[in-house]
Order: sequence, then C-alpha cells, then structure tokens
Amino acid sequence: MTKLDQSARVPSSSVRSARSANNRRGARLLAQLGVMAAAIVVWWCGSISLPEGVMPSPVATFGTLAQLATTPPFWTAVGETVWTFLAALVICTVVGVPVGLAIGSSRIATQSTRLVFDFLRTIPPIAILPLVLLIFGPTFEMALVVVVLGAIWPILIQSVYAARQGEPLLQEMSRSFRIPPLWFVARVFLPGALPFIMTGLRVGTTICLLLTITAELLSGAPGVGSEIADAKNFLDTPRMYAYVLVSALLGLLVNGAFWAGQRRVLRWHPSNRQENAA
Amino acid sequence: MNAARKGWLSSVALELWLPVLLVVIWWVASSQSTSVYFPPLSSILASFAQDWLEPAALVKNLFPSIQILSIGYSLALVSGIVVGTVLGLVAPLERATRPLLETLRAIPGVALLPIFIVLFGIDVEMKVLLIAFGSFWPVLLNTIDGVRGIEPLLLDGARVFRYGRIRRLTAIVLPGASPQIFAGARTALAISLIIMVVAETVGGSGGIGYFLLAAQRNFAINAMWGAILALGIFGYLLNIIFRIVERRVLRWHRLQQARLESHS
Repeated sequence: MTKLDQSARVPSSSVRSARSANNRRGARLLAQLGVMAAAIVVWWCGSISLPEGVMPSPVATFGTLAQLATTPPFWTAVGETVWTFLAALVICTVVGVPVGLAIGSSRIATQSTRLVFDFLRTIPPIAILPLVLLIFGPTFEMALVVVVLGAIWPILIQSVYAARQGEPLLQEMSRSFRIPPLWFVARVFLPGALPFIMTGLRVGTTICLLLTITAELLSGAPGVGSEIADAKNFLDTPRMYAYVLVSALLGLLVNGAFWAGQRRVLRWHPSNRQENAA
Repeated sequence: MNAARKGWLSSVALELWLPVLLVVIWWVASSQSTSVYFPPLSSILASFAQDWLEPAALVKNLFPSIQILSIGYSLALVSGIVVGTVLGLVAPLERATRPLLETLRAIPGVALLPIFIVLFGIDVEMKVLLIAFGSFWPVLLNTIDGVRGIEPLLLDGARVFRYGRIRRLTAIVLPGASPQIFAGARTALAISLIIMVVAETVGGSGGIGYFLLAAQRNFAINAMWGAILALGIFGYLLNIIFRIVERRVLRWHRLQQARLESHS
C-alpha cells in the first residue's frame, strides 16, 4: 500500500523525459485494456453460470448489436433519442441561461425566486410523467416536456450563481473607464460567468440524456429507451443488453463532446491552461 | 439589534412573497377549472390530505419508499467512498480502471431496470440494488477527485510526524476530500430519488412510485397531483436534511473559508 502510495506521487516531483513518458502512456493503455478485458471475462463467466436467458454472453450481445446496426429501425430509434435529447438541451439552454443570468443580476429577483426554484428543482421530473403522458400520449412532445422540466433547473440555477460571481472590481473598473454597457456584458460579464454556466450545462446535459431514455423506457415514446422496454417484453435479453450498451455509448459520446466543447469555449480559463501545460 | 431584526424580516418577506403569490394565483385560476387534467387546487389539497397526511395512508404510501431509498443510498455512499478513497490514493489503479468506470457510469441508471428485473426479480432487493448502483457513480468519481486533490504537503507532513495509515486516512484524506464527497452525495441523492420512483412502478410493494402508477391507471387526476406535491415536499425535506448534515460536518471548512476570505 505504502509502496503504491509513493509511486503514485512520483510523476509530480520527477522530471520525465519524452521516452519514459511514452513508455508510461503505453503501459497505461495496456493496463486499461487489461481491465476492460477482465470486466468482459467477468461478464462472460456470469452469463455462463446463470441460467440460460438471464444474462446473454458478451459475444451474443455484441453480435446482436452488430446485427441491429445494419437495420434501419435501429438507427431510427437512436435518431429519435438523439433528436429529443438535443431539442430538450437547446430549449433548456436558450431559456435557462438568459433567464438565470437576468435573475442573478438582481439581488431582489434572486432572493424572491430562491424558494420557488429550490422547490421545483427537488421534484423528481419523473413524477409529472404520468400526467404529461395522459395529456400528450407516448410521443416526442411528451418526452420533450418531461426532459425540459427536469433538466432546466440545474442550468437555470447555475446561471443565477454565475451572474453573481462577477468580480466587483472589474465592474468598478469598467465604470470608471466608461466602457459601454453592451461591451461590458459581452467582454466582461459573460466571460466571467461562462465557467459557472458550463458547470450547469454539464449537469444539465447528463440529466437530459438520463431523462430522455427514462421517459422513453417508461412511456413507450419512440427511441432507445422504448426499444429496451420492448426487448424486455419479448424476453429478448441479447437485444436488451445491446440497447443498454447503446445508451451507455450515447452517454460516453455526449460526455466526450461536452468536454471537447468546453475546452474550446473556455480555452483561456486557468483550469484548461494548467491541463495543457501538464 | 432592531435594525438587524428589521433586515431579517424584510429578507424573509422577500423570499416568501413569490411562492405565496404563485400558490394564490394557482388557487384562484384553478378554482373554476373544469379541465380534466388541471383540477381546482382545493380538491388537489383534499386528496393530498387524504393520501399523505393520515398515518395509515402515510405508512402505506411513504414508508416503503423511505426504506428502499435509505438502504440503497447508504450502500452507494459507503461503497462509493471506500472504493473512491482506494482509487484516489492508488493512482495507477485509478488510471487503469478509468475507461471501465466511465463506461459503466454512462449507463443511465433507469435503463438498467429491465436487466435488474431479470437478474434480481421485482422485490425490495432489486429496487435497493438499482438505487445503489445508480447513485454509486457520482459519489465514487467525486471521492476520487477529492482524494487526489489533497495538498501533497499535508501527506508529507503527516509522514514526517509518523502518522499511522489509519490516522492519515481519518485526519487528512477523508476530511480533505469531504467537500467534494458532499458534492457527489448531493447529486447522488437527486438520482436516487428518480430511480426510487421508477423502480417502485414495478411490483406491488407500495411506495410513492407505485401510488403514482396506480393513480395514472385509475385516471385519478387529483390523487396524481397530490402525489406530485408529496414527492416535491419529500424531496425538499431530504435536501434540507442533507444541507443540515453537510453544514455540520463541513463546519471547519466554512470557517476556514471565511477566515481565508477575511484575510485576503
């Protein structure tokens, strides 16, 4: 333990040459592949030891997935999920960020709305699903309403915080330099708020995807979620696992896209500069 | 003293006027409502009182939820903190397992419901495990980050003073990581609430989710609105409890922060 402990902290203090860095990267990749392979072996052992039909083997799952990927319905389902997710995320951002910033710019508005937002935020969005389902039926609109009502709060509340984080000194300086208000908003206020807005967007993005698939799964609105439910109804476990895997891949993709986007938008921010230097 | 009380009063008034206004608007606007989906608030409240304020109904509708939530959430907390601390301290292990963890974390917890049903049945164990699995990831990842973010100088110092392994853990690692652990635990709480409701729509063990489903099937709109209200209040209370615990445990942290700020 102590040994591992020390080796863990060596990189921070030692000067590393390019070659040893390369070696280390190779070893790391090897270890990562090893862990992945071990996980798949564990999965495989589980599928053998359990009664038939309970857990499909990795081979069966990936085989089914490869087969599904050649059929149009598969891509329709993925498209529906991605479309619902993107539409919901855009609505949440376009509404949540400006409203949040506007509220956060006024102390009175912030305090007045705090209890309301706190309360609405804690209602699990799934609670309104039955009601929305009765009104809209299992459709795209229904999923959209549920997802937006669930995912908008972290974005909005974080934007309220973001507006309040402005450095007072910068405000005073802008005033004494007579910087025009629009300039101030575009060059000082928004860049200062952006890191906090991004935090809200990151949480909101995750929740958007989670809720999209949840709403589809529970209501039968078309998409990956309803495909999982459908496979379960037919007790077609390989197809079920394949679609769960697809939902995980979507999650990875969304996370990756978000990090890449954030790095681009916040290029100037110290947290990124440090990362690039390391 | 007087001025302070006046300030306190006006800030309470500032926080309360909008919620009160919204409830009044809802009450007035819905009082003549004949819409099936948006019944008068008065009848929603009557149904709420019947389903959620009477002891017998409360035991039937809320206790099963509290039970699976508390067990599942505690499991996630304990395992997330333990595994996260180990991975946070042993960097090579953390690097090797990172892709696997990221993949598993990316699975939306609710999507696992069908798999868990096939594996574990439709009883309480399945629901507890699903909650635990879904809320495990934010605790785990935040614990890893928190442990890794500890000032190395502190650990070196502890070694100089010949702190034992356990003392290092309890005196430096866990307190140092606790603000981040709490951030993860807060996200986990919201996720576990969602999974709880979804898991309860399976099987007949009662609980808020089961109640919601039954109300939907019987087209009992008042009961449905009542349950939404109950769920909101339940979530709100949980958050308040969480905040109290957090404030208590992280008291040293806030004090330290305040001290630092007053110095700068």
